[in-house]
Amino acid sequence: MPKHIARLVFLLLAFAVIAYAAKQYFTADSFYLFGHYRGLSVAEIASDKPKFKTPKSCEQCHAGQYAEWAKSVHNNVDLGKVVRCEVCHGPAGSRDVKGRFEHVATGKDHPNGLKMAIPTETAKLCTLCHEQMPGRPVQQRQIVVVTHAGTQQCTACHNPHSPKTFKVAAPAAPKGDAAAGKAIAAACAGCHGEAGIGGKVSGPGLAGQKADYLVVALKAYKTGARDNPLMSAMAKDLSDNDIDNMAAYFADAKCNSAGNGDKKAAVAGLSVAARCAACHGAKGISAQPSWPNLAGQSGEYLVSSLKSYKAGERKNGMMDGIAKDLSDADAANVVAYFANAACR
Amino acid sequence: MVDNDEHAKHQSERRNFLRIFGATVGCSSLAIATGAALREATAADTPAPKPDIPDYDWTRHRWAFGVDATKCIGCLRCVEACKIENNVPADAHHFRTWVERYVTLEGEEKAHIDSQSDPVNIEASGSEGAYRFANRYKDAKVERAFFVPKLCNQCTHPACVQVCPTGATYKTLDGVVVIDHKYCIGCQYCVQACPYGARYFNEEKGVTDKCTWCYHRITKGLQPACVEVCPVGARVFGDRNDKQSPISLFLRDNRVSVLRPESGNAPNVFYVGIDKEVI
Repeated sequence: MPKHIARLVFLLLAFAVIAYAAKQYFTADSFYLFGHYRGLSVAEIASDKPKFKTPKSCEQCHAGQYAEWAKSVHNNVDLGKVVRCEVCHGPAGSRDVKGRFEHVATGKDHPNGLKMAIPTETAKLCTLCHEQMPGRPVQQRQIVVVTHAGTQQCTACHNPHSPKTFKVAAPAAPKGDAAAGKAIAAACAGCHGEAGIGGKVSGPGLAGQKADYLVVALKAYKTGARDNPLMSAMAKDLSDNDIDNMAAYFADAKCNSAGNGDKKAAVAGLSVAARCAACHGAKGISAQPSWPNLAGQSGEYLVSSLKSYKAGERKNGMMDGIAKDLSDADAANVVAYFANAACR
Repeated sequence: MVDNDEHAKHQSERRNFLRIFGATVGCSSLAIATGAALREATAADTPAPKPDIPDYDWTRHRWAFGVDATKCIGCLRCVEACKIENNVPADAHHFRTWVERYVTLEGEEKAHIDSQSDPVNIEASGSEGAYRFANRYKDAKVERAFFVPKLCNQCTHPACVQVCPTGATYKTLDGVVVIDHKYCIGCQYCVQACPYGARYFNEEKGVTDKCTWCYHRITKGLQPACVEVCPVGARVFGDRNDKQSPISLFLRDNRVSVLRPESGNAPNVFYVGIDKEVI
């Protein structure tokens, strides 16, 4: 074989050997174990730690909230509508992407050093799903934020774990002693009528009103949160115990459905009253202990209340917005409707 | 005569060369064949190797994904959850999964399409790290509108895997296309090859990334993060080998379609309730 051919063959062989050695050296052992890729990488990818830990892991410590949620519309398994804990609270596992959730902790998970977010801006959070928007299917519960709640946070009324049961707890047994309340309540008769019956007197009827609401109102007068010279003076000297007793007395007292509004206006007010129904009940009997009944209440009192909400003299996150949206005619009609409604 | 002698000499040298060359090639191919046969013989004796994943056998599962667009409310919880679960950069340009909104206004033929990375929607959410669809069509005359969640289709014949020059991306036996970030050189051929735009380039890490159906979750018996957080059940995931799994029931109870069937990639994300303009 001529020298130059031999040299060429040698070079080719040397190249082949080096290439083969290099391939052996640089290719991972597990390459081609399962296919044209590094076999060990499958287990490496699968070994990442999950960050969303599912409601089961929450239940271990938060059984109360879990039970509340599990029975609610936010866990409607039949419809496939399940809003799990971590949708609102953020994932419980260690994370380094911040996203919407405030508490970012790398290398830590809840409860080991990672604090879960408790959403405060619920008006922003809940409306991610519940704001009325073209494209959302009709079966999705949607609200027009401005008319539904104004600038209120959703959690002011709704329990986020169980949004259809309103946040206020189930009515507790009256705390006060009605008999003890009767003695103190004698002083109220001048304005609120005998035994709080209302009617042709200057103040609103109190008989049959929600005890919790009466407590809230009296305490608001006492602290000055609600301003009325006469009532503030009356409430100033009452102890919390007195307030409970009086509230129990008036709540038990027999009310009078005055039928004290314009009947024609009352019919017109029926459609407006639908806006009040969620909190005050369709017929003016509130389902919530701390929200007042409206049924059978004095028309003058209801009108003046709405006016003072509208003017900003009386403040309530919910009522402010609602009163502002009511025209004077609507207000008069809805007042007539509730004034005519049976108080029990 | 001299010429002839020279010629004969050359002839015999050429013959010699060919003989030696032939013998070498013959011997080496024999050696390779024997080696391969030996390897096969040993492979038949020992069971096929499996990835070392605790309590998981990848030969037993065939994962698939369903999307019911008629249920999607566009809340984008899936997008946020995916980003957190998979450490996707928290900005408006990198997504493993995303949601598109199709809105046709009265008197118009073509749909207006936007997703969470649209500037108007970023403004509504207040930050690039949180996602929200702005209520931009609330006063418009909307004829029809719907949301479509999108993600990697984990195709049966993935174009992205075919173009990868380093074997960094591949399809697992249980049906998920994943990326080996140690072998990815960041050339982005796969980003170009994917007909669905499902891959993105992670500039921080210098590698391509994509949806893996949360392979680290599904191999532990969990749902992918997006399915876990979907509040309306618009995303369905499961094992097609299990006839009672959510995805098997979804495929049984619905008439489904896939995106761009003509691309020949044979996607494994099945859609209900999407329209011709969704590709």
